[in-house]
Amino acid sequence: MNEHLSRDGFNSRRTDRVAVFGWLVIALFALAAVFAGFLAPYDHSAQSRSEPSAPATRIHFSSLTPIIYARRIEDPLRRTYTEDTSVAFPLGLFVRGYSYKLLGILETDVHLFGVRSTSGNAPRINLLGTDQLGRDRFSRLLYAIRFSFIVALIGVLVACLVGILIGGVSGYAGRLVDTFLMGVTDAMLALPTLILILGVRAAFPLELPMTRAALLLLLIFALTGWAEMARLTCGLVRSFRKREFVVAAVALGVSETRVLFRHILPNILPSLRTRALLLLPTFLLAEVALSYLGVGLQEPEPSLGNMLTAASDLDLLRSQPFSVLAPALAVLLFTLGVRLIGRSERA
Amino acid sequence: MIKLLLRKCLQGLMMILIVSAVTFALLGFAGGDALTQLRDNPQISQSTIERLRSVYGLDQPLPVRYFRWLSGAVTGDLGESTYFRAPVSGLVWARSVSTFLLGTAAFGIALMISVPLSLIGARYNTKTSAAFINFLILVTASTPRIVLALVGLAISVRLTASALNSSSAVLFWLGALALSAPLISALLAQFHGELQQTMREDFIKLARAKGLSDGTVILRHAIRPALNPALTIAGLSFGAVLGGSVIVESVLGRQGLGTLMVTAVRGRDLPLVMGIVLFTSTAVWLGNAVAELLQAINDKRIRDLGF
Repeated sequence: MNEHLSRDGFNSRRTDRVAVFGWLVIALFALAAVFAGFLAPYDHSAQSRSEPSAPATRIHFSSLTPIIYARRIEDPLRRTYTEDTSVAFPLGLFVRGYSYKLLGILETDVHLFGVRSTSGNAPRINLLGTDQLGRDRFSRLLYAIRFSFIVALIGVLVACLVGILIGGVSGYAGRLVDTFLMGVTDAMLALPTLILILGVRAAFPLELPMTRAALLLLLIFALTGWAEMARLTCGLVRSFRKREFVVAAVALGVSETRVLFRHILPNILPSLRTRALLLLPTFLLAEVALSYLGVGLQEPEPSLGNMLTAASDLDLLRSQPFSVLAPALAVLLFTLGVRLIGRSERA
Repeated sequence: MIKLLLRKCLQGLMMILIVSAVTFALLGFAGGDALTQLRDNPQISQSTIERLRSVYGLDQPLPVRYFRWLSGAVTGDLGESTYFRAPVSGLVWARSVSTFLLGTAAFGIALMISVPLSLIGARYNTKTSAAFINFLILVTASTPRIVLALVGLAISVRLTASALNSSSAVLFWLGALALSAPLISALLAQFHGELQQTMREDFIKLARAKGLSDGTVILRHAIRPALNPALTIAGLSFGAVLGGSVIVESVLGRQGLGTLMVTAVRGRDLPLVMGIVLFTSTAVWLGNAVAELLQAINDKRIRDLGF
């Protein structure tokens, strides 16, 4: 017994450290989502037609100041660029650029970093290069994370709300609803979800503006996510109904809704939270898949999925694999982080 | 046994009916069909569209259309694809072969990795083996297929001299590998965990006490009870493989069921969408049924109960 305890203690300490990494990743994503405008040096739709599919800007140092040079396309077919080293443009922090709304209210034009130059033809710093229209990939990535993250987050909230309500009531109500829920979730688990999602997607117009695409994605998430939450809640509520404190509350004449929401729900919330957390990458991936296939969020709005379509240009994929696949790496980091948290919470 | 089979068939039929009806209703209610786009064409008059609608039976009420579609589906006639101008059933069959091969290869890879690893983990139950297996489960579970496929594509493009020249065999195995990642994690987690649990059972202790070697104990005594939950997972994974094939095929440019679905959705080809939904849900049910039959063969109790 004693040995058992100490081993568990050791494990939980180690998994805690792992979970910290996971929370850090989520915090990074949240920061990117909230401060996308501040962190992104350029407007995500601002094109620089003279620099299509450029590789990442090379940063030089002259007496400890980071500088960049202007560049000119040398071979438009092979997309090679040469640097014009005659004029150096220094980089700086808190640089003024295009104006945006910080937190959606404060109008400002200060950005975390950028090129410190007053001349109109200063080169742009592209940390991840540019896409085929010369738009800054790094800025697009930040805005894409904002869209994908927020949509997935709201999707989880909606799915949880619906799922917990239905699950809680049916866990309290009885067998028949439970059997139905079991059937639905089993089917959801077994059926090829992406194909069903695409089937539902076919019912709506192909081209959608951003807000309607987001709403459609939320609808799809809620439709596919609620059943799993409902089933978990249902089972937990059922097991808690027989506990002494619940029986005592019922015996005291506490109303059913109060028992459910004040006595049972707070106790099952931790388990529900873990499951909800695991839904987050599922939804994020669904958005990535749909947008990648061209039926989610569409150009010119950036999303993690539609940015990845650049990878179908195999030459580009070979010459700038990291820049092209940066959205994929972001997704990977996110799923890994959430899994690590989920694992340590289960342990 | 017969009872079990009948029950499975009935269940599957119900599921397929419900799924197809819901999809059909959703597609119907949302309005818009292959003729919607023709409306924008000034060359085509309203009366022509109305005539076409009655030709294709689109002016009938929804339940009538569903039953007409269903009675066709029973005889193998799924209507005509409005995008390809060809019978849906032929298209789906032709494309499903490629997806079937890919899925089989993915299953093969997953089995080749997870089964030996679980057996080794049960035989040499050390901290290192458990840590390695847990690490593998974590990595395979949290690497999305789209990321795997893209990274694999990037590597293969980088290694081969010409981008367009990377051979289809390489791409095929890349796709299978990407598709197998979630399978590996599911199978490994289930089979490994189940084996670990079985190894602590009394009958294993008895087998050991009889003086049987570790290998015999695992292969003859531990594997059978541990197999059933793994079979359940394998059966359930059928859908995941089919769903994942959409992404993997799109990334690697393979012509399969997944890419056909994408084409159908983008072309608003509702008969084709319905056909693929029907086909995939049937395939998933078939996978589940086979998995359950195998379980019944493996475990006499299930057979006798006929549950």
